[in-house]
Amino acid sequence: MRFSIYRFDPDSDAKPRMQDFDIEIGPNDHMLLDVILRIKTEIDDSLTIRKSCREGICGSDAININGRNGLACITPIRTLKGTVVLRPLPSFPVIRDLVVDMTQFYKQYWSIKPYLINHEPPPEKERLQSPEQRESLNGLYECILCACCTSQCPSFWWNPDKFVGPAGLLNAYRFIADSRDQATEDRLDDLNDAYRLFRCRTIMNCTEVCPKSLEPSRAIEHIRLAMVHHSL
Amino acid sequence: MRKAPVSGLRPWIIQRFTAIYLFFFFLFLLVYFIFFPPASYEAWKDAMSGTVAIVATSVFFLALFAHAWIGLRDVIMDYVKPLPLRMTALALLALGLIGMAAWVMHILFAAGG
Repeated sequence: MRFSIYRFDPDSDAKPRMQDFDIEIGPNDHMLLDVILRIKTEIDDSLTIRKSCREGICGSDAININGRNGLACITPIRTLKGTVVLRPLPSFPVIRDLVVDMTQFYKQYWSIKPYLINHEPPPEKERLQSPEQRESLNGLYECILCACCTSQCPSFWWNPDKFVGPAGLLNAYRFIADSRDQATEDRLDDLNDAYRLFRCRTIMNCTEVCPKSLEPSRAIEHIRLAMVHHSL
Repeated sequence: MRKAPVSGLRPWIIQRFTAIYLFFFFLFLLVYFIFFPPASYEAWKDAMSGTVAIVATSVFFLALFAHAWIGLRDVIMDYVKPLPLRMTALALLALGLIGMAAWVMHILFAAGG
């Protein structure tokens, strides 16, 4: 099986290039990550990729697989046909090979204050929620911040410094929807400008590629509706 | 509390509401021209000269220009980054749309009066 992999080492290369690797798929190669690691150990140990849990929990091995963002560790190798083209996450600055700089992505994530804001003194045990209130957080809290969605979003490509991006907005809604959070009004105000939320053009690449099957575009829709609700 | 200099919600709502009006107006025009085509230019002019027709058509064009302003403003904001260039593009767009609005109002009310 042939793999065409993006190579770039800023210390020695003037510009990036694609390098082909041919490797036989063995019985122990289940996921794409298994094969990438075999290429690294058997053919070229300078090939650089970030990975940790290798089971879709940590989100560190997000890469662009045949033009589509995904996690190498949960992409079955048998679903890939022909020459597999692997590139780093689109639009993010490349550190080396398949490893990208996520600074801008995390900056946007932090800007939505991804933590519970509640001004009352914490109760002895815990802040209670009804089963329904807890239910409303499903599909939101599971985000692993792999950046597959944000890196595939054209609105983020054009305005990475001003548009929060799908991952950040999904997490913003996770706290807007939380019954224990008291900063809903402030959170909505913070997103109500021409860029932070409203650069979203409902292209829905985010929902299409999310490896955890979450729906950032739906969360964005819910934020808009919450704004309408609060402004009336 | 941070107050944004430009609301993002208001243009978004205006764009949605104008889209709904544009949709129904186009639907009306389509039905009108397919099932009740005016027999002659005179008949067409008469139909367009009623107060209801003039008001509905004026609202249509205002909705169209508002809708176009928001959409094209967004395109300019995405692609034209240097501030002087952006201001120029926005100003030209606004002038063009206002010009067209004035022109269409002149035609409509001249036809009515």
